[in-house]
Amino acid sequence: MDVALSGNGRRVLRIFFVLLVVFLYAPIAILLIFSFNNSPIPAFPLSGFTTEWYRQFASNPDLKGALWTSAIVAAISSAAAVFLGVLAAIALVRRRFAAKSAASALLLAPLVIPYIVFGISLLLFFHAAGIQRSLLTVVIGHTVITLPYTILVLVPRLTQIDVNLEEAAYDLGAGPFRTFGWIVLPLILPAVLSAFLIAFTTSFDEYAVASFVVGTRETFPIYLYSALRFPSRLPQVIAVAVVVMVVSLVVVVGAEIGRRIAERRLGTIPTS
Amino acid sequence: MRLRSVFATTTLLGLPVAWLVVFFVVPIAIVALYSFDVYTLFPEKHGFTLAAWRGFFHNSVYLGLFWKSVKMSLIVSVVVVALAYPVAYYLALSGTKRKYVLLLILIAPFLTSYLLRVLAWKVILGNNGVFNSFLVWTGIRSADHPISQLLYSRFAVMLVLAYVWVPFVALPIFVSLDTLDQRLLEAAADLGASRLQAFCRVTLPLSLPGVVAGFLFVFIPTVGEFVTPSLVGGTSGYMYGNQIADLFSTGFPDWETGSVLALFLLCVVAVLTVVFSRFMRAEATA
Repeated sequence: MDVALSGNGRRVLRIFFVLLVVFLYAPIAILLIFSFNNSPIPAFPLSGFTTEWYRQFASNPDLKGALWTSAIVAAISSAAAVFLGVLAAIALVRRRFAAKSAASALLLAPLVIPYIVFGISLLLFFHAAGIQRSLLTVVIGHTVITLPYTILVLVPRLTQIDVNLEEAAYDLGAGPFRTFGWIVLPLILPAVLSAFLIAFTTSFDEYAVASFVVGTRETFPIYLYSALRFPSRLPQVIAVAVVVMVVSLVVVVGAEIGRRIAERRLGTIPTS
Repeated sequence: MRLRSVFATTTLLGLPVAWLVVFFVVPIAIVALYSFDVYTLFPEKHGFTLAAWRGFFHNSVYLGLFWKSVKMSLIVSVVVVALAYPVAYYLALSGTKRKYVLLLILIAPFLTSYLLRVLAWKVILGNNGVFNSFLVWTGIRSADHPISQLLYSRFAVMLVLAYVWVPFVALPIFVSLDTLDQRLLEAAADLGASRLQAFCRVTLPLSLPGVVAGFLFVFIPTVGEFVTPSLVGGTSGYMYGNQIADLFSTGFPDWETGSVLALFLLCVVAVLTVVFSRFMRAEATA
């Protein structure tokens, strides 16, 4: 007998799973359908096919500017977060020191702070320090938010790598930088890339903290939020929503598959 | 060893820790200083007082909003865990070969834009939105009587929050069920336990850390939520987080009171996190 599930139980749960997936994807599908609908108001009945909204968004300089700005902010903040995350992860995995649990608590703390609290904290901090709000302040905030995610991705990968490989490199005369560059980095590269990707998508989409520290140049979420107040812009926003969602789905799913393949090929992963 | 001298622990940890101290710990400390009027928005009246804190604990509006938010996000968290558990159970224990593919399908929506998923519901729930116009179009309801409480309501906020968080919560529950030693279930069956007994006395207790983690993953971000309520909540969906945001951004800013509200929320969340992580560690070692 299968103790976990009876035959009927399995059927019921399968139906439940399918229903939940439908619930999760239906709103995205609805956006997709209405992005091609020939009416400025997204409502039934559908009135005809058009690519007008995609053309409008493609020729909207503010919207494209905001997307570009977000891409820059996300690239810089996630590169910084991954750099800091690699340092922290190596220290947490490879070193023994007294305050380790305190250090890891601090490094992971940004995971559990409500973003509204962190947003206003940064606002008051930059105000007190006399720092003008700009894209730089957004980058700083996003680096803090995404740092723990990079650590969470990197630590498990580092623990899988045999320390003897590093020791062997030292014995053969490689310095610490060479050992890192030739031995450790190639082995953790898939995890580094997926940490970068998680940080990038988090930053690209982040509104709550950015809304308190952004300057005059808008990131994409900030633009989107203000565009939602103008009904005339809604169809283009739906079109851009579809593009952003499809791209992020493809990138994220592709990256996950790529990471699995790469780590299997590099070995040192327990094949389960 | 040379490794230790060049890449000393302090060298490695120095930068990340310093970054978080400067841009995370110090900013929170500044919020605390504001809450005690050591710093103030209008410099003429500063000096340490407990006035803002006293005002907060005597203000029924702020406390009422806080409880309303706690209630809303408790409901959301419970519903989300209840939806995610059976799905995670199915993926982990039904013996399906494609469990990681199915898991990825489940989680993928979470990795797309948060704001855009909220936007989708705004388009769906409006008075003349997709859902109502669909009902009218198919003749289920007449055009004069749309279901009007859909958007800009407490219900809309909770629906959207549940929608947003379900995939994420399935993850820790799946992990706890997937790592469960299935021989325990066989042993339970051999000793005469029914499926229900085996579930209640073996599976459920062993998956509890995942459930608790999932619960916290939803509760912590939703209790301080202000983006979703401001987009789909209207006045009846206004939450504690909106109050904090308004104290910092409207025409009548009150940074001292806002700091008190923010710190209070932070303390509640910190206590919850510490208590539950102790609990989970105790479970893990038991």
